[in-house]
Amino acid sequence: MIRIVRSTVIDAPTDRVWAVLRDFNGHDRWHPAVAKSAIERGQSADQLGCVRRFLLRDGSELRERLLTLSDLEQTFSYCLLETPIPLFNYVAHVRLAPVTDGDRTFWEWRCSFSTRTGEEAEMTRMVGEDIYDAGFSAVRARLAASAGLEGRA
Amino acid sequence: MARVYVSSVINGRSDRVWARVRDFNGLPSWHPGIAESRIENGEPADKIGCVRDFRLRNGDRIRERLLGLSDFDLFCTYSILESPMGVENYVATLRLTPITDGDRTFAEWTAEFDCPPEREAELVASIGNGVFQGGFDALKRQFGGESR
Repeated sequence: MIRIVRSTVIDAPTDRVWAVLRDFNGHDRWHPAVAKSAIERGQSADQLGCVRRFLLRDGSELRERLLTLSDLEQTFSYCLLETPIPLFNYVAHVRLAPVTDGDRTFWEWRCSFSTRTGEEAEMTRMVGEDIYDAGFSAVRARLAASAGLEGRA
Repeated sequence: MARVYVSSVINGRSDRVWARVRDFNGLPSWHPGIAESRIENGEPADKIGCVRDFRLRNGDRIRERLLGLSDFDLFCTYSILESPMGVENYVATLRLTPITDGDRTFAEWTAEFDCPPEREAELVASIGNGVFQGGFDALKRQFGGESR
């Protein structure tokens, strides 16, 4: 079993970061790896158990099920159902916590999974860097851009 | 039940910050509000259940019991046995979490306690701003300015 933990600090209050992350069907609007997202069976994106279908920029498709969503704890978790990438029993957890000293946000993204022998290093790098670190950067840039727009308005 | 939550970012790796705060008898070495501390009955400071008896710079004396300590999850939980603060059922936890982006540490300090309703705001402010944030400010100074 491989475990990955990535964490960062975003220069915005947790409510603003949560407003971006909370939408289980909205990751195509901020994550650079995701081209399209749709929730199956016309369910709402905050319906626990709903399944999202991603089309990635590289053309591959994957499906993920929402396992936890808490507006109180500002956490969500999900698992992979189907993917062309060798990630097995993949379960991920996202949680936000306020940095009260400065009104910023601590954001942690963690997961566990197994993969094929010999692909551990590449899968670890891909998930940690291409998905998690790239996601941090994208949300940071998106919030900085919207703060800039508000500043001009 | 009143609740206090204070969190901060320390510019040092979590194992180094933990080495500083782990010692249940070590408050005087890093917290500016604490003058001296001892563990009762000659017990080791990492024996769960041990009691620290410490004195603040303002002269107040507090006794606290170590309820939990984890070198794996990097937290320390303790309760107040005796203090001049007028709180009941006071339990606090100091917890560190690594920030992988930059080798920094996310530090959280929480407390829950009972007190007369008219004193709650004052106690929450003095514990949160004074004791907890005061401790974090000292750690931030000791580990250097935050680089972002």
